[in-house]
Amino acid sequence: MQLTVELSAVRFSYGASPVLDGADLEIRAGEFVVLAGHNGSGKSTVLKVCLGLLRAQAGSVRVLGGSPWDATVRRRVGYAPQGLRVVTSIPVSVGEVVTAGLTPTTPTWHRGGSDDGIRVRSALGAVGMEDLARECLFELSGGQQQRAILARALVADPPLLLLDEPTTGIDQSLRPRLAAELRARADAGATVLAVSHDPDDFHAVLDRIIVISDGTIRQMTHEQFHAHFEVS
Amino acid sequence: MSVFAESWAVRAYVAVAAVGVAAPLIGSFLVQRRLALIGDGIGHLAFAGVAIGTALAFAPVWGALATAVVGALVLERLRTAGRIAGDLALALVFYGALALAVVLLTASHRFDSSALGVLFGNVLTTSWGDIVVATSLCAVVVAVIVPFYRQLLAVALDEDTARAAGMPVDALNLLTVALTAILVAAGMRVVGLLLVASLLVIPVAAGSRLAHSFRDTVAWGVALGVMSGLGGLLIALAQGTLAPSGTIVLTAILAFVCAAFAGRRAARRHPRSSS
Repeated sequence: MQLTVELSAVRFSYGASPVLDGADLEIRAGEFVVLAGHNGSGKSTVLKVCLGLLRAQAGSVRVLGGSPWDATVRRRVGYAPQGLRVVTSIPVSVGEVVTAGLTPTTPTWHRGGSDDGIRVRSALGAVGMEDLARECLFELSGGQQQRAILARALVADPPLLLLDEPTTGIDQSLRPRLAAELRARADAGATVLAVSHDPDDFHAVLDRIIVISDGTIRQMTHEQFHAHFEVS
Repeated sequence: MSVFAESWAVRAYVAVAAVGVAAPLIGSFLVQRRLALIGDGIGHLAFAGVAIGTALAFAPVWGALATAVVGALVLERLRTAGRIAGDLALALVFYGALALAVVLLTASHRFDSSALGVLFGNVLTTSWGDIVVATSLCAVVVAVIVPFYRQLLAVALDEDTARAAGMPVDALNLLTVALTAILVAAGMRVVGLLLVASLLVIPVAAGSRLAHSFRDTVAWGVALGVMSGLGGLLIALAQGTLAPSGTIVLTAILAFVCAAFAGRRAARRHPRSSS
């Protein structure tokens, strides 16, 4: 299978001490990988380096066979940040937030149409929110807002999904459905890299757990992960 | 002939309606991005442009337009480059541009009542030439926003995610401030450079109290912008001595108060509890 995420000897620091110090990572198309680690260990930094939001200070980063700084590569990546990043006094509907996920891949003059509507409804259906497209996002619970953000990442059917704590705030009973949806995307050929402090959410569907610790990335089994984190 | 049907009143209706449509359209993206006060800063820049135009003997609106657009683009570049904090940049522009305008106008012996007209508008004395310029500038703002609406909204919703998705965020931000500068120049004769920013913000704020989506907020903002403009103008015409710019802005504020009251009554529902 084709490599979709390649990090080689990546170094990155916000200050004096490096968050990533010689980090290596390879993920192939169709893999569902969970990136775990302690708070502040650099999990989100790995995603941001892959997204081109942060530039690695050393080493090389390739995403979908190209540079993360290439706009044509970025348009093929679905990104769901942790929590709501919109702070505003203007109401925004769930449908508008999800439709924004189609905007990077549509021409400027595209006015939207029934095809967009179908895709938005499909993405909302995938996260169990098919009836909430017209609701104001800020009137929903934190878990529903997180699901809307996840739907925005899914709506364009990208070949690479980079998800930062995608189950934050979401009810335990809904998590298996979301995990199954992401597994289905991986089975269809997409790569899923989900940052999570609790890989148990995805235990039944993931291919690998990778753990970031002391600036480096290691692979672990589910049992090794629990043993490591219970000890530490 | 009734004062309401005089040709100068008709010209004023056209100018007020044009600004009433265009200002909330671009203002929605500014409010969403928490840049509600940038119109004020650009208004001060435009005043310096008027002074430069006066000193160099060309039409004030072109001096205002050129200075506002160039200054707004430089301001945005400095802000995004992180070389200067947003509020500090605005403060420097506020005071620097105003001081430059006063110095240039006094040096050219034009610091008189016409300066007051630039700052606070004088829509009842506009010529058809002024109307053509103002409506053309408003038409440019509308004509650019319509095709770029989805892109501007995606950036306004979440700049980091839009950037991660390969969108030209910096270029879209520059487009937003450039359109704001064009709108400020268009509104100079209508409500003046000190009050034009209010039409960027107040109708949008009022619309947001009545809507459940960004699109509906824009639609309400445009409707309330036009209604406030025409309503305030009619009040000024009926009373006879009041400055239309003041009555227009006060009418917009009244619309905001009414919308906030109506919105609160309609929104007596609790956020959903399920996750």
